[in-house]
Amino acid sequence: MRLRSTEAGWGALVRAFHWLIAALILAQGIIGLTMVQMGLTPAKVRVFALHKSIGVTILALVLLRIAWRLSERRPADPPAMPRWQRRAARAVHGSLYALILAIPLSGWWFNSASNAPLVWFGLFDIPGLTRGYAPFWKPRALLLHQTLFWVLVALLALHVGAALWHHFGQRDDVLRRMMIGPRGQTGEGP
Amino acid sequence: MRRALIAMGTLGLLAVAAPALAQTWQIDAAHSTLTFTNTYQNVEYTGQFRRFTANIAYDPSDIARAKFDVKVDISSLDTRNSERDHAALGPAFFDTAKFPDAYFATTRFRKTADGKVVADGELKLRGVTRPVVLEVQFVPHGDTATLDVTAQLKRLDFGIGTGQWADPSMIGDGVTVHGHLLLHASK
Repeated sequence: MRLRSTEAGWGALVRAFHWLIAALILAQGIIGLTMVQMGLTPAKVRVFALHKSIGVTILALVLLRIAWRLSERRPADPPAMPRWQRRAARAVHGSLYALILAIPLSGWWFNSASNAPLVWFGLFDIPGLTRGYAPFWKPRALLLHQTLFWVLVALLALHVGAALWHHFGQRDDVLRRMMIGPRGQTGEGP
Repeated sequence: MRRALIAMGTLGLLAVAAPALAQTWQIDAAHSTLTFTNTYQNVEYTGQFRRFTANIAYDPSDIARAKFDVKVDISSLDTRNSERDHAALGPAFFDTAKFPDAYFATTRFRKTADGKVVADGELKLRGVTRPVVLEVQFVPHGDTATLDVTAQLKRLDFGIGTGQWADPSMIGDGVTVHGHLLLHASK
């Protein structure tokens, strides 16, 4: 298994980041939409705590992923891909990175402004981003968090749609190389 | 003999009339706070009750005659978290619809072996009356004084957040209450 990406495909580390973060975002969306409907019970408090812990985890993983991506090359686009599609793909990818940074940050901001605890999986206390309770910023941070989430949902629909279109429509390598890595490389298994 | 009897009778009357209370004090509300610390999800937080009244009679040279009578408006709770405050006033916790006020009254003041003043008293909170021991620090400055009192309570003793909310890893059982009062001597 090749750790680094090549001209032909994505390395194992980028693929691990991609699918791990994707799974966490999916879980986070479901948890987030469910928890706000819950009545006030200790279970609700625990589900909120879980949502916050996963959010902090995503933020940390995205920062590591960006640092790693900066250290290596990007595989080549399929040769047949027109320029507007390359540009659109880059714009969507860049926006996705911005969103998966901004959404956990806005959640952290909302939590800080609410003066609510933030303890990563019950293990360690993470300080707030505001100086304690900030009732002016609290509703604004929440609105930002929710709005950015729905923007993410829309962009993810584009992203997933484009991946499926590449795979089933164009029958190129774009989706496969994010799933199983570079194909036909020396020293690589099937 | 007769004079002596009259003198004794007069002294006796004075003695009956004399249990005049110790010096009484008015609270300077703008410079006085009633705060508490507790834990939520194992993280310490501080809250306060913004409205409370108290009758304070205290003379450091005669603590036997001291008396505190305190009434706290529970709905003035502020923990700097509006969701938490709203939940705390509800039926599972303070239940202010049924129990709007808490009352504390001292029954006895005494000095401990190390010379500190403590007051035994009773706190009535959420309809439950329990004995509470108050540590008292009184510092006079002429016509004013500062009074710091501290007590350790257990919320579950008073039925605050029982049942599914009893878990102390969610809400700590121990609560430290601290009153810091600026007093002006009553004329």
